[in-house]
Amino acid sequence: MEESIRVVMARLGMDAHWRGSIIVARALRDAGMEVIYVGNQLPESIVEMAIQEDADVIGLSTLSGNHMILVPEVMRVLREREVEEKVVILGGTIRPDDIPKLKEAGVAEIFGPGTPLSKIIAFVCALK
Amino acid sequence: MSKLFKDEAIEEIIREKDHWKEKVDIVEKGSERVFETLSGLPVEPLYTPAHVADTDYLCDLGFPGQGPYVRGVHPTMYRGRTWTLRQLAGFGPPEETNKRYKFLLKEGATGINGVFDYPTLRGYDSTDPYARADAGRGGVAIDTLEDMSILFDGIPIETVSSSLVTCQPICNISVQSMYFANALARGVELSNLRGTSQNDFLMETAVTIAPELLPPKFSFKLSCDAIEYCTKHAPLWNPISFAGYNYREAGCTAIQEVALVIANAIACSEELIRRGLHIDSFAPRLSFFLSAHSDFFEEVAKYRAARRIWFRIMKERYKAENPRSLTFRFHVQTAGVALTAQQPLNNVPRAAYHALSAVLGGAQSVHIDAYDEALCNPTELSSLTALRNSQILQLETRVTHTIDPLGGSYFVETLTNQLEENILTFLERIDHIGGIIKAVESGWIHQEISNSAYEYQLAIESGKIPVVGVNCYQIEGEELPLELFDIPETLEIQEKKLRRIKRERNAGQVRHALDAIARCCDENGNLMEVMVDSVKAYVTEGEVSSVIKKSYGTWDPPLF
Repeated sequence: MEESIRVVMARLGMDAHWRGSIIVARALRDAGMEVIYVGNQLPESIVEMAIQEDADVIGLSTLSGNHMILVPEVMRVLREREVEEKVVILGGTIRPDDIPKLKEAGVAEIFGPGTPLSKIIAFVCALK
Repeated sequence: MSKLFKDEAIEEIIREKDHWKEKVDIVEKGSERVFETLSGLPVEPLYTPAHVADTDYLCDLGFPGQGPYVRGVHPTMYRGRTWTLRQLAGFGPPEETNKRYKFLLKEGATGINGVFDYPTLRGYDSTDPYARADAGRGGVAIDTLEDMSILFDGIPIETVSSSLVTCQPICNISVQSMYFANALARGVELSNLRGTSQNDFLMETAVTIAPELLPPKFSFKLSCDAIEYCTKHAPLWNPISFAGYNYREAGCTAIQEVALVIANAIACSEELIRRGLHIDSFAPRLSFFLSAHSDFFEEVAKYRAARRIWFRIMKERYKAENPRSLTFRFHVQTAGVALTAQQPLNNVPRAAYHALSAVLGGAQSVHIDAYDEALCNPTELSSLTALRNSQILQLETRVTHTIDPLGGSYFVETLTNQLEENILTFLERIDHIGGIIKAVESGWIHQEISNSAYEYQLAIESGKIPVVGVNCYQIEGEELPLELFDIPETLEIQEKKLRRIKRERNAGQVRHALDAIARCCDENGNLMEVMVDSVKAYVTEGEVSSVIKKSYGTWDPPLF
């Protein structure tokens, strides 16, 4: 049997909204992926958990507006730990003008409010 | 008995309706369209007196200002006084939010509705390593008493009521104490202070969960400490606002939303009675906070059902006698989760419909969401438009002229009955588990909310729930028609203030204050009793939380 894609799903910093991240985690799990939901975390521990769990994908969620500080931090720690092959995706209320900056920082894809779950599932499945 | 219809009339109506229904059935036959409310209650093509044939008018509906208060909590409702215009505001450092409060009051807002940033809500200082990226986000940053005095500088707190959105009890115990200490310093007696704090333990343990939470029973204890304190010292203050709105935002249905606020209020009542208080000493100040979501009639019926359930529980189970104890009074915020980031100006009519349901449901105060809330904190223009939205509803539409105008609608009365029945069933399930605290500790609540949220999303996904701009009428390559709000610099300002305060404050007084808090935790005393004094020593919110967590321990919530 083919090994399933492993996803570590985290909420960035202190963001309080859990609805989006839980729904996406459930949808990915229902689509056959291995999802490890780790709740609110800072960049260092997100990367550490992704390494521990041998994750292929790191799913980040934030609606608080902290992404321009914490997402580049995640990318920096990934480089420092030499695990840049892990794919980072981001969901939440991300301002349109932030999207090109985040992509330049190395985020593979950004899913804003209203994104169909099927689009997120298709994107992650295509990574295999 | 005050039944509405004669039995013979009902029989005849049923007979005639059956004839009519045959014609409808021919047209609807084979249609796959499902007619139901957002929470899944079936909706029939037509409602007639037969649906409400069993209604006993005086017992089940009554008059405004009289039990069971289905038609409203005040005898005159909006003819006497319209709902409070309470627009939520909070961002960045307190210096900036203070300006927004003044702006809203100048433009006709009639109450303050202050929301705090993520670190403040969780009991952290802005400078905590865990908090730094979120300082000033989602609300205003408060670290010490000084921030509180800046936040309300120049605002007449002796006349304007303030709602403090101190979601988590760990936040409320410090922040409400700072508000009270600031009032005392300004010469306003606590007994004259009007306002509300949110202070809801479900917000800490089941809805906006984060690591290092207080264990549910301690979060609940802090919440009850504030209620007990206010009952004794600040009788005009509403010390809790059961935050059904936020449960709904996290994914609850209308049924779960009301059942959970009532289960929570029951638990608080039990605890306060156990502490020796009489139901009529604190119940008059228990207040509720509900959402206004997209299913218009279900929302109207929800508010009406909540009033009847609360009246009967208070009257029958607790033998409350003060009319205020028997009335379910609530603030409404229009559903943020129903807003879209796509074509954001569509959120103006959307929120107007939401607010109309709250008003036709008899809300005491209303916040209308700004059109840009799915994208950023509201700008001055978007919050002004939201305020004007409420003012248009209040002044131009004349919906305030008669009380409970949808009362007596066969449909709305039927839906009110059905919601009541379903809410009571959900309450029984919680009772069966052993009450709301056990239901949180076991993760049952988290699972329930998560299931409802997932089902709702799948229904949007399949198109069963249409959302304009999201799953229909999308605009390809849409360009945003509006300017977004930038959070003003916060961390640097808070850091500077904290550094100065820590240098200037009296170290002996700080130690004394923190020791008093620790001792009170260990002796299981009422923390609010020591906190209002303690914050005067300029202890920071983070310092207070650390002491509390050291004594009470922390809890890892069930995550998924």
